[in-house]
Amino acid sequence: MADTVLAHRASRPFQPWMLAAGLVLPAAMLSLLSLAGTLPPALWTQALLAPDMSDIRQLLFYDSLLPRSAAAVLAGAALALAGAIFQQVLRNPLASPSTLGISAGAKLALALATLWAPGLFAFGSEWVALAGGAGALAIVFALSWRKGLSPLAVVLAGLVLALYCGALAAALVLFNEHYLLGLFIWGNGSLVQQGWSTVTRLAIQIAVVGGLLALMIRPLTVLSLEEAGAQSLGVSLHGTRLAALSLAVALSAFVVSGIGVFGFIGLIAPALARLSGARRLRDQLVWSPVIGAGLLWLTDQLVLRTGGIAGGILPTGAVTAVFGSPLLLWLLPRLRTAAAPPRSEAAPGSVSVGRPALIVGSLAILLALGLVLSLTLGRAPDGRWAIAGFAELSGLMPWRAPRALAALFAGGMLALAGCILQRLTRNPMASPEVLGVGAGAAFGLLLAIYTVSAANRELLLAASCAGAFAVLAVIVLLSRKTGFSADRVLLAGIALGALCDALVGAITASGDPHALLLLNWMTGSTYQVDGPQAVWAAGCAVVLIGLTALCVRWLDLMPLGDAPGQAVGLNLNRVRFILLGLSAVLTAAGTLVVGPLTFVGLMAPHLASRLGLRRALPQLAGAVLVGGLLMLVADWLGRMIAFPWQMPAGLIATLIGGPVLMWLLARK
Amino acid sequence: MTSSAQARLDRRAFVTGLLSAPLATASVAPARAAEPALRPPLRRLATLDYGIAETLISIGQPPVGLVAPNDWQDWVIEPPLPPDVINIGSNREPNLELLAQMQLDAILITGYSAGIAHRLRQIAPVFEFSLYVPEGRPLALAIRMVERLGELTGRQAEAKAFLAEMDDTFAQARDRLAAVRHRPLYMLSFLDNRHVRVYGANSLFDDVLQRLDIPNAYQGASNSWGFANLGIEELKPDPDGSLIYFEPVPPDLLASISRNPIWNSLPVVKAGRVARLPGLLIFGAVPAAMRFARQLALHLGPEGRARG
Repeated sequence: MADTVLAHRASRPFQPWMLAAGLVLPAAMLSLLSLAGTLPPALWTQALLAPDMSDIRQLLFYDSLLPRSAAAVLAGAALALAGAIFQQVLRNPLASPSTLGISAGAKLALALATLWAPGLFAFGSEWVALAGGAGALAIVFALSWRKGLSPLAVVLAGLVLALYCGALAAALVLFNEHYLLGLFIWGNGSLVQQGWSTVTRLAIQIAVVGGLLALMIRPLTVLSLEEAGAQSLGVSLHGTRLAALSLAVALSAFVVSGIGVFGFIGLIAPALARLSGARRLRDQLVWSPVIGAGLLWLTDQLVLRTGGIAGGILPTGAVTAVFGSPLLLWLLPRLRTAAAPPRSEAAPGSVSVGRPALIVGSLAILLALGLVLSLTLGRAPDGRWAIAGFAELSGLMPWRAPRALAALFAGGMLALAGCILQRLTRNPMASPEVLGVGAGAAFGLLLAIYTVSAANRELLLAASCAGAFAVLAVIVLLSRKTGFSADRVLLAGIALGALCDALVGAITASGDPHALLLLNWMTGSTYQVDGPQAVWAAGCAVVLIGLTALCVRWLDLMPLGDAPGQAVGLNLNRVRFILLGLSAVLTAAGTLVVGPLTFVGLMAPHLASRLGLRRALPQLAGAVLVGGLLMLVADWLGRMIAFPWQMPAGLIATLIGGPVLMWLLARK
Repeated sequence: MTSSAQARLDRRAFVTGLLSAPLATASVAPARAAEPALRPPLRRLATLDYGIAETLISIGQPPVGLVAPNDWQDWVIEPPLPPDVINIGSNREPNLELLAQMQLDAILITGYSAGIAHRLRQIAPVFEFSLYVPEGRPLALAIRMVERLGELTGRQAEAKAFLAEMDDTFAQARDRLAAVRHRPLYMLSFLDNRHVRVYGANSLFDDVLQRLDIPNAYQGASNSWGFANLGIEELKPDPDGSLIYFEPVPPDLLASISRNPIWNSLPVVKAGRVARLPGLLIFGAVPAAMRFARQLALHLGPEGRARG
């Protein structure tokens, strides 16, 4: 019996329609069930053809349940189609509206317009979203252009941009919580509909874009052949690509503005279509939307059935994001990458330039001066600038010193982690923020806040530490499988960061008052730091910097490639393992103080090497000093610029670090 | 339930506060008794909560420091805030360095700020009042808070008079609303043109409705802050009901909601029994409850537009 089943299965391989049916049929069943629960089937024809608007059941049937299903189907199909186009045109199986930063860019544009330029909505919110999405894609392209738009570079740029947009949106919410709560519900993809106007508009938009795309199937198919071959066939490569990309961006932006953000549907659906056997372009363009529609429809019906969290709204888009980002992790090992990552300019192990001791010494003096200024220069209760004298200082010190010092040490640790990672992976983009350890700490925090009713400080600290180490374990396991391929470790980390973002988004959308405290930490506030915590941060920094100093020889060798290390008899896997572990612990300790998104770990090593510190020891020392100085300045600025309000130090660092990060990404 | 409304004072923290006070103020701190009960009335108070601040103002002991005083005019409106109140930052992160220089007798917080209480205790004694707790009755807790603040500030008589004024206000509003007493009332804030936040059991205004004998139209579940976020289609249409919504209303909302068929189908909307109430402190205390009762009487009472 089993044999015949196997033989049967072998003769008829898995087909896309089976998967599509497996999604659409249960979704339709659930949908019919909830329709029947609202209105007896006998009245359906009447409700459809001539709804009696005084009957609330018919009204819900016609104006709520039906358009909700239609919205799910349309949004799922549009995002999946956009994803399939992106993946085809960019030859990148990880491309999608989420991973290219398009959804995040559109969302941020809408948030900015809501706050500062509501007049723009007169033109229609879809154009604001389109501008944001197109802007995001343009930035992503600009950032990965010199790397030949290689799949990993593009997705790395896209995810980093998405995280950056997310950090900015979080900052906006911190200061405008009352107006933007609704934005968060929408931003996390609620499919609630009342009436057909949104659905109708979206359907027309999708029909137009879809029709244009249908006309492009032939040139796109040719494009999927050899590039040279396509050119000889007379297809304009750039024109076709640009047109297809624009249409896909339009699809994504229309969904975002009309309905909301649905994380990762555009990534999952085409991937599932491919896995279920849709290999040719035509098949993919047909089955991806069907599968995407079924997927979102089914998810939404399940969300509808389970209901929101107590007294809250569970946006469907947050659910897809939470399930979708792990899929990115799962897809990673299947991504073939031929080209080795470009050699970092930051870490050539060649001769050092200048006089390292002098430079490091100057940096140390600068840091000391900065510390003195940060502790003495402040604002008096009436807002005037004042340099604290010796008498006042003793009163101010308990409030200024712990957070300034903790920020300094955290910055130093993150910088050191970044330095180790960049040398280890020979990838100038490596940084602890990108490693996902910060995201892990956030998971731990989340879990503690929501499972323990009265979580105290110590418990939160322990929980976020546990989370950070759990992510470290996952990353080590994942990267072991792929032989510690640097880019994959980074992408895995970013995917975890995106998952964290999705969870925080879901919680914020639920309207839970805890969410603001969580956002506080996510934006890197040093406010809570007191004496013991500062001492703890200092102790961690001293111990970990000492341990790193023991690894200087490895760190001098690693940037040169594997051969020199093997030549002197190093067990490379063990060395990598130790260095990765060290940088993860450094990241966990630093992140607990200043939050997961400072980008200091990325900036500081680069600044150090720009100053001419190239060999391991001077670069490490320089990076620690620069990182400490950056966070010290960020903390001081945060205390001063909006006095008596306080901006989170991590957010200030993000705002400074973002452009630096973009600039680094854009370089070869 | 924890000692929600009861002010808590960590004795050890108080002693540390005492020890660090001379350092923090750089001047000789006035001698204070170690035992809370023996302490002289508290005069210099800072608070992180508008509800506490409005209560303090109402019993004649306004705070010297308050978070975000600039937003008072949008959210509280009355009682008016004295002009010399010092801005101490945000309620998530009040400026500690500033607080330390203000020579405070006490800092008054809610459970929302419990996470930073240990830091505040280093500056001055901290009293916690939580009106919004699971299964709590905010109005009853707010009334106890008036009495407790009266004791702490030595203004028991003012507190008593204020509570009598509250009873008067409720009684007057109840009389003026006699004609609409049979109409279940929806109370909500708009989140966007598809979602609303509905106030139900556990909310201050639900308690006020009980005092006014008006049924709350929303009888579903709500969180410990007394609200639930719902899609508009989840509002149960009540042919006799009326509906009020609170400021702030998101920009463009009224235009887009008037095109929403589900909204338009609600009997209260059809009958025009919808009123927009001005700024009200939804998570407030007794003064907010009184203001709500007065506003309700104004908008739904004999002269109101939305009484139907």
